[in-house]
Amino acid sequence: MSDEELMGQVRSGVGEMLGVLFERYHVPLFNFYLKLTGDRMTSEDLVQEVFFRILKYRHSYLVDTPFRAWMYQIARNARLDHLRKRRPETSWEPEMSPAVEPVDTAQQSQEAVLLRSALLQISEDKREVLVLSRFQDLKYEEIAQLLGCEVNTVKTRVHRALQELRQVLHQLETRPASGKGQRGAWPAPGSVQ
Amino acid sequence: MNCEAIGELLPDYLQARLNPDLTTEVEKHLAGCPVCGEEAALWRKLSVLPEERPGEGLQSRFKAMLESYDEGRWENTSLAEEKRRVPTRMLWGLGNWRQMPIAGVVWACVFLICGFLVGRQSSNNTGSENKIAELQQDLAATRQMVALSLLQQQSASQRLEGVSFSRRLPQPDPQVLNALFHTLRFDSSVDVRLAALDALSRYAGQPEVRRELLGALEGKQSPLVQVALVDLLVDLHDGNVVAQLKKFQQDPKVDPTVRKRVDWGIQQLEVSSF
Repeated sequence: MSDEELMGQVRSGVGEMLGVLFERYHVPLFNFYLKLTGDRMTSEDLVQEVFFRILKYRHSYLVDTPFRAWMYQIARNARLDHLRKRRPETSWEPEMSPAVEPVDTAQQSQEAVLLRSALLQISEDKREVLVLSRFQDLKYEEIAQLLGCEVNTVKTRVHRALQELRQVLHQLETRPASGKGQRGAWPAPGSVQ
Repeated sequence: MNCEAIGELLPDYLQARLNPDLTTEVEKHLAGCPVCGEEAALWRKLSVLPEERPGEGLQSRFKAMLESYDEGRWENTSLAEEKRRVPTRMLWGLGNWRQMPIAGVVWACVFLICGFLVGRQSSNNTGSENKIAELQQDLAATRQMVALSLLQQQSASQRLEGVSFSRRLPQPDPQVLNALFHTLRFDSSVDVRLAALDALSRYAGQPEVRRELLGALEGKQSPLVQVALVDLLVDLHDGNVVAQLKKFQQDPKVDPTVRKRVDWGIQQLEVSSF
């Protein structure tokens, strides 16, 4: 059954169909948020929030329109609301995040650690476009619609994101010690945001 | 082609959306230009980032959310709609009591008792004020009986009626309050629990009601009800509940959304107590 058919059913009240959509999208959404925030717990909270909003605003879904675009719109709004609500005095407590299996870290190449770190250091708007186009498989047209801008703006931003990523990577490579010693697979958000 | 022109084509090249001629042109440039070549290589290199898996907790939280939705959904389309429908359905129950077996029987009892009392009243035209007071008391007792009986029904919509009915009592007796507390904590439908909370909020000024409300926060409670409870406690501006809210917040099993709400609630209460 297509995403749109499933969402159509959720819209008409068959809540259990959301379970199928959850199975399809909770991992991509989690990775979307993880690449944007670098924080596992926040990412999980945001994924939960997206599905809560899908259920809450199910009537605003227009039948037979692309579900993915609608879902990412919700995902984006949830993140913006989260950023707005986040109080600066709330500090991130490492013990709140689930421990990462040491084997994960061991298996990760130095390259992946550097790339991840660099990705979190490029500017927010460029990172978002890069993640959406590279990892979430959204077309530039879809991203443009999502962000409410021209397709060319999206393309320019993708190119600038790669330029910035290249520069940050070079900086990190010239001082390799800074990328090491991070706890877990992703650095703590306080260190990057 | 210079780097600027390539930069414009690069995004489309990366998503393999250029025609063969332009693709060849871009590739020719990338092979000879280290900067542009490196940028294109970076795009491919990003694939080394593995797909991460969220923790098990996410799945169970989602299931819990869906369950609480289902509980309310299958019988009531939504709490708001249900609330709107209740008054008309109660009148409908009056007119079509034969089609509603349980509510019908309850209504029949009400009519019987009222009829009996009115009959007794009219047959004794010298009716004193005492008798009127007695009549009112009997009527209140009947209403309580109806509310209690409805609160114990199988169907969530009838229990919802019971909650609404309890609102018609000027001063519910401890039995009705207890039934409402029980509904707030243990009713299988989140909608009915929320309605019970709404009904109880009228008596939240009473210390024992407030104590029960605080108690209902804990245990196996739906996050939706917990959030509504926190909001109610904040509205009451009672700084004394802060300590208990803080204790509740420490419980590792508390849903993160609820924890945030409690956090907010504590802040509000602390601000208002100054």
